[in-house]
Amino acid sequence: MTISLAIVALAALIHASFQLSVSMLTLLSGHAIGAKTAHKKLLRLTCSFLTGAGIMTLLLISFTSFVFQQAFGREIPTIMWAIGCGLLIGLGVAVWAFYYRRERGTSLWLPRGIARYLSDRTKATKWSAEAFGLGLSSVIGELIFILAPIVISALVLIQLPPLWQLAGAALYTLISLLSLLVVYALVGSGHKLSRIQKWREENKRFLQFAAGSGLIVLGFYVYVDQVLSQTAFAQGGF
Amino acid sequence: MNLAIDIVKRGGRRPSERFDRDKLHTSVRAACLSVRTPDGEAELIAEKVCDILMVWLKTKPEVTSSDLRRKAAQTLDTFHPEAAYLYKHHRLVM
Repeated sequence: MTISLAIVALAALIHASFQLSVSMLTLLSGHAIGAKTAHKKLLRLTCSFLTGAGIMTLLLISFTSFVFQQAFGREIPTIMWAIGCGLLIGLGVAVWAFYYRRERGTSLWLPRGIARYLSDRTKATKWSAEAFGLGLSSVIGELIFILAPIVISALVLIQLPPLWQLAGAALYTLISLLSLLVVYALVGSGHKLSRIQKWREENKRFLQFAAGSGLIVLGFYVYVDQVLSQTAFAQGGF
Repeated sequence: MNLAIDIVKRGGRRPSERFDRDKLHTSVRAACLSVRTPDGEAELIAEKVCDILMVWLKTKPEVTSSDLRRKAAQTLDTFHPEAAYLYKHHRLVM
């Protein structure tokens, strides 16, 4: 049980290190402050964004777990674990290779047209409902990278008792929101956005390395724990 | 006062438009405000940046929007480096 929750927590921490939602929240706050939005409204906007991102993460992890539960029950075939590990390791290498663009700032892998569209939408956001929708879409926008941690967490979660499945999904959501919560707290407490953005830019290579390494380490661990050990068990005749 | 200068947008992919001092003023002021500069100071800095850019623009028949942005950021950097940083990088956040 503890190991399962630790895997979910590590997967969520890797999810938290992805930066599209953070970039959008930073932009949203910057434009709101620049447009002289009242502090209360700024907090409402950022809180709605955070809620949107949280709800979409919770929906994704619940949906993936539900699909796996319907498909496999509690007995997950080894091939599924192997596919999950392959995804983790493959995406880990992809994060190392091209998560950030090779230019100044914190430009991400996103095609420029989509990045411009998201940036324009963020700029135009004035209402909490829009910010909520933006939070939802920020998670969808990064689906290609968060897919692996979500798949592995879902596979781990469906082996737990029902109550612990709920706790695991909540834990995943909460941890995956950590980076957004930090930005929310910093903006709310009056920190300058330029400092937040500068920190992100100065540490982007470290964040990229950490996210990629995290995916690869988790992939290897789960492979040894779920694929190799089961194969060894079967061959040993236990 | 606006100058009769054409601003070439995004490498000519979008139609050119006339230079608009108010637009420049608003963007510089917003950059200052977004790093929590007091309103009056932001207004003053935006005025100074616009004045300096008007002198620079007088010698040119047309300017690209990215050149205008680069020059504005360079000028803003002397008055408010943090605001200039955000002004320069706002398209490189994601």
